[in-house]
Amino acid sequence: MAKISHHVVPSPEGGWNVKKGGSEKASKHFEKKDEAVSYGRIVSRNQDSELVIHGKDGTIQSTDSHGHDPNPPKDKK
Amino acid sequence: MFNKSVFINCPFDDEYYTLLRPLLFTVIFIGLKPRLGLESSDSGETRIDKITKMISESKYSIHDLSRIQSTREHEIYRMNMPFEIGLDYGCRKYSTGKQRTKKYLILEKEKYRYTQALSDLSGFDIKTHNNEPTKIVEAVRCWAVETIGITIDIGPTGIWNRYNDFMYDLYSDRKNKGFSDNDLQVIPIKELVDYMEKWKKK
Repeated sequence: MAKISHHVVPSPEGGWNVKKGGSEKASKHFEKKDEAVSYGRIVSRNQDSELVIHGKDGTIQSTDSHGHDPNPPKDKK
Repeated sequence: MFNKSVFINCPFDDEYYTLLRPLLFTVIFIGLKPRLGLESSDSGETRIDKITKMISESKYSIHDLSRIQSTREHEIYRMNMPFEIGLDYGCRKYSTGKQRTKKYLILEKEKYRYTQALSDLSGFDIKTHNNEPTKIVEAVRCWAVETIGITIDIGPTGIWNRYNDFMYDLYSDRKNKGFSDNDLQVIPIKELVDYMEKWKKK
């Protein structure tokens, strides 16, 4: 089963939104990105989801799975 | 194929890539098929032959004129985009077949700027994106609804949000396959389009 994710994405109206992965709707809007990241971190911790932070163009800036790396390195050495 | 194809006439440089990705995603998301000059690298065919063939095979076209102005001293402005608009317009104008039904979207950075360089386009439907990825989604969706008559139940913000999901799925998939961050920046357009089409079908 695919892991749940929450995303901090740029809002077309300006500012930043937090949305659940797969959803067309934002769950909350913020004027500043750091506020959106703080809120997204709380939600994703509570729901044990991966937090994905996007750049202005939609590219992935960083991901945080709170210690549960969904893509762990294959090399154990 | 003709009725779904959209000829994409835009720059293919790193700077434009941030706009090209959401543009291609929106075209695919609304059920159309993008056609680009980069889709085939058959060296036996000249670039202009490939382009005229694609123009002739596409009912729709998106032409982005936002890079026709040079941004630095001694930089040569780009003429491919206005040239290809001319080819496309000629294809519709002089055809006696299905090409007479062709429809265009012309994109620009700012409203009315193009009139200083290409005043012959006065009267065309021109939409602006201000170099913002979110605005290009809005422009393409709006054109598809108004000009093509496609019914799209999801708004531009919804498409933009799904685009961000797509970017994450692409990132996760490629990371799992051992792609580096740099590899992710240089995914060929054809590979990107193929992945978008597969993602849409899921």
